[in-house]
Amino acid sequence: MTGRIDRAVNYALLVGFSFVALYPIGGIVLAALQRPGELSGFSIPRDLHFSNFAEAWTQGHFATYLKSSLIVSVSVVVVATLLSLLAGFAFGTMKFPGHRLLFYVFLLGLMVPLEGIVIPLYYDLRALSLTDTYWALILPQIGLSLAFGTFWMRAFFMSTPRSLIEAAEIDGARNWSILWRVLVPFARPAILTMMVLIFMWTWNEFLLALVMVSSENLRTAPLGLAFFQGQHSSEATLLAAGAIIVSLPVVVTYVLLQRHFIRGMLSGAVKG
Amino acid sequence: MKDSLPVQARIGLRAGRRARARDKAPPGEPRAIGYLYLLPALLVYGAFVLLPLGHSVLLSFYEWDGITEGTWIGLSNYQDLITDSQTRAAFLHALILILFYSILPVAIGLLLAALISRTDLRGLTWFRTILFLPQVVPLVVVAVIWSYIYAPGTGPLNEGLRAVGLDGLTRSWLGDFSWALPSVGLVGTWVQYGLCMVLFIAGVQKIPTSLYDAARVDGAGPGHEFLAVTLPNLRNEIAVALTLTIIASLRNFDLVYLTTKGGPGNATSVPAFEVYNQAFEVGQVGFASAIGVVLALIIFAITGVVNRIAEARE
Amino acid sequence: MSTGRLSRRSLSALAAVALTLVACGSVTPGSSDDGGAEQPQSSSTALPKEDVTLTVWDQEVRGGQNAQIEQLNKEFMDEYPNVTIKRVAKSFTDINKTLKLAASDDNPPDVVQANQGRVVMGQLVTGGLLRPLDDYAEAYGWAERYSPTLLELNSFSADGDQFGTGNLYGLSQVGEIVGVYYNKEKLAELDLAIPETFDEFVDALEAAKQAGEIPIQFGNLDKWPGIHEFQAVQNEFAPKDYLRQFVFGLGDVSFATDQNTEAASVMQQWVDSGYFTPGFNGVKYDDASAAFTKDEGVFLITGTWQAPLFEDAMGKDVGFFLMPPAQSGDDPVALGGEGLPFAITTGSDQPEAAAAYIDFITNEHAAQVITETGGLPAPKGAPSVPSGTVLGDIFTAWDQLNATDAIVPYIDYATPTFYDTITASVQELMADEVDPEGFVDTVNQDYMDFMESR
Repeated sequence: MTGRIDRAVNYALLVGFSFVALYPIGGIVLAALQRPGELSGFSIPRDLHFSNFAEAWTQGHFATYLKSSLIVSVSVVVVATLLSLLAGFAFGTMKFPGHRLLFYVFLLGLMVPLEGIVIPLYYDLRALSLTDTYWALILPQIGLSLAFGTFWMRAFFMSTPRSLIEAAEIDGARNWSILWRVLVPFARPAILTMMVLIFMWTWNEFLLALVMVSSENLRTAPLGLAFFQGQHSSEATLLAAGAIIVSLPVVVTYVLLQRHFIRGMLSGAVKG
Repeated sequence: MKDSLPVQARIGLRAGRRARARDKAPPGEPRAIGYLYLLPALLVYGAFVLLPLGHSVLLSFYEWDGITEGTWIGLSNYQDLITDSQTRAAFLHALILILFYSILPVAIGLLLAALISRTDLRGLTWFRTILFLPQVVPLVVVAVIWSYIYAPGTGPLNEGLRAVGLDGLTRSWLGDFSWALPSVGLVGTWVQYGLCMVLFIAGVQKIPTSLYDAARVDGAGPGHEFLAVTLPNLRNEIAVALTLTIIASLRNFDLVYLTTKGGPGNATSVPAFEVYNQAFEVGQVGFASAIGVVLALIIFAITGVVNRIAEARE
Repeated sequence: MSTGRLSRRSLSALAAVALTLVACGSVTPGSSDDGGAEQPQSSSTALPKEDVTLTVWDQEVRGGQNAQIEQLNKEFMDEYPNVTIKRVAKSFTDINKTLKLAASDDNPPDVVQANQGRVVMGQLVTGGLLRPLDDYAEAYGWAERYSPTLLELNSFSADGDQFGTGNLYGLSQVGEIVGVYYNKEKLAELDLAIPETFDEFVDALEAAKQAGEIPIQFGNLDKWPGIHEFQAVQNEFAPKDYLRQFVFGLGDVSFATDQNTEAASVMQQWVDSGYFTPGFNGVKYDDASAAFTKDEGVFLITGTWQAPLFEDAMGKDVGFFLMPPAQSGDDPVALGGEGLPFAITTGSDQPEAAAAYIDFITNEHAAQVITETGGLPAPKGAPSVPSGTVLGDIFTAWDQLNATDAIVPYIDYATPTFYDTITASVQELMADEVDPEGFVDTVNQDYMDFMESR
């Protein structure tokens, strides 16, 4: 039967494309373990030089940068989730005048590129003396995340069975209780998906940090890596180690929660 | 009726039972309380996204160096944008990059979706995890990795070519006037194709087998099957893939800044990079704002068109 | 969900919102809070007694540079325990790209290394972001420390319009010359001596090429090294007075001269003859230097800031000579000047401590430290260095150039956009993407546009 051949072809294709996706990343992991100064191509290191990581860590001050990234990402995720839940709840379960228009206003944010707003953001925040602070990184990213978060929670709440809400209402519950005691527990997987996506986007953000941050100890990990590359541009093993340090938190989160990451991307299409 | 509710809901209800009864408007009537729930999000979003957007438009009508007083010049920046050959080139490069970041990955994804038969795919989770990985890695890291891969002397790409005897094909990828832009583009292809694949595989698995059977009964070959059954049913997935990847291709500041800075010459200049360069280095904030506004408008337009086409057949 | 229809609605929603905001009209660009340069309150050389933190932005990231600044910082903090130096180090490109943003912040760094010329320092001065240092110069006696040319390079008129005259805005630690490093062993193998005329140099390049060596090790991915290669050749054709006028924006000069066209022509010839590293447009500057230390390449044209790296890696096997003159017996002319000057921002609230710091890192003792780490100090009366080493070669060359007043400034100083223009154009020229006349015209356009707007 062609079933076997089909199966083999399928796996061959999947393995092939997966290999291409993984090869550069695997290669840089190997590069980070090579002896410094001898790097050439991607090859299996003769002996493992974990010292590269230690050196990148200290020379590159990555402890500071990771801490900074963590503070920003966690703040954005927590606040954006909260506000998205509230807004999504409003859009998803209530009809009020202008709700359509207001939703389109939020939807716009999904398409607005940071490049279109980073210039005024800089000058406005500077006028408020907020540049070079965590606020300059956190507040705009909450704003941008709200476009996605509101859309996401609205879609979810809209597809929640009406019976759930009605039962609660009949029981005498107020809106607040309905949201937090009925809907949120029900929506936990969707909320988790939203949180991991916002975490990833915030952690990886570079342009905003480049514009807003001048002091070294406020640098987020991507920004730190960029300047690290400028300083050590021909020390490939060191750069490789630094690159891995910077991507580790978000990649680890991804591997542990990959179900939620991918579901997030897929659902956009499914809902449509 | 309560018995049919999921456990969580029942627990929630019990906990909230002590809530006072309040008059509720019958379902369907407007509830002004909605505004209150919406307000915090609207405030933050308005202040940090909408307001700057409007401010961008305003700034684009000025000539300003960011430090001293600005002067009103109306649509002059937009005129310059259209007439300046270097800015036009930047937008042209962006269009070319859409080919690499968007069209190519979507095509690759569709190819896979067409070839993969929808038999039981075991281990799909693992493949999805790996295929999606390039999307997760920060672009800064992607830039570091690929800068190294493209390095003329010791980079893996040239080493690999030499190893298989294709010495003649080795070149200075990021420094070559003809190859720099495609090189940057291929990085984008690498980042985006996994996303498209994952999207389309999932989409294909949702297509009912009956449709394929019906097509086969009509005597359709695999090509026709693809065009008549697979493609139309992937419309939504394709629209999402195109939207996400096109936005990514127009937003590629990180990659250009960290690999070529627009070089060699101006071969890899892109609008996203020009926004930063013109505003914060050259000191032409108004002009940079105009570029940003046009970039946003292009994204709006393309997104609109893509989604319009996706709906057209519905 | 029909996102197509939604986008259109979203756009009209946006239009409504934007118009409302614009109508509020509170967001026109203009500076209400920058009052221009503050007038210096005092110019004493005494340091404040209370605890002070000085934030210093520098680009001393290469081996020897890093060593000297770290040592000097430590010694300064030892001598003044109440002062803490917070050092923010970035590469040359990174600091140039981020300095303006930082300097116009509410809490800018106190001391910054701001590149001379119109691109960085000029714009900062125009924006009132740098503090004139003439009062400190007098209090500390800096005019005796430097030759007049070096002080002029760090000077601008208060409105930033005139370059090379007016107020002093910064002091440089190191002098710089761009010349030719050579691999002594390879030169001997090729049976060549140090060329004494430009023609001899070209002959040497050809000989190296014939012997299968890389004549000039070169990497231009970072864009700025191309300036040095071009100007090294340009100096052979264009007179130094013309070049100085051009860079400072004096007189009625243009870039579209026969000499510049000829220089561009020669550059292209060199590329076509294969005198540079293959694929140089994609090679990083640091990688090219690293390759040179591994015995790849006979010559490398770059500045004295790389000397520590070469000396460390190659020891006695590397030497330095100035680009030889066109005519035998003439004095050689070299591109150079001084390293990035250390300047004080107007927003700094510690100008005294900052000035004391700047004085400390440019005094005699500092010159000693710089020499020990392989650098070339800018102030007069530098300590002596053993001859026969690359540093010895450099010091000799520096003295010679100063004696004959033969230093030509970097050309990217010339207009606010000149760095972008010249780097991109040189990349195009050296990739045969444009012919010499086209190159000269593009560059000249930038210059003319700026001159007209002044």
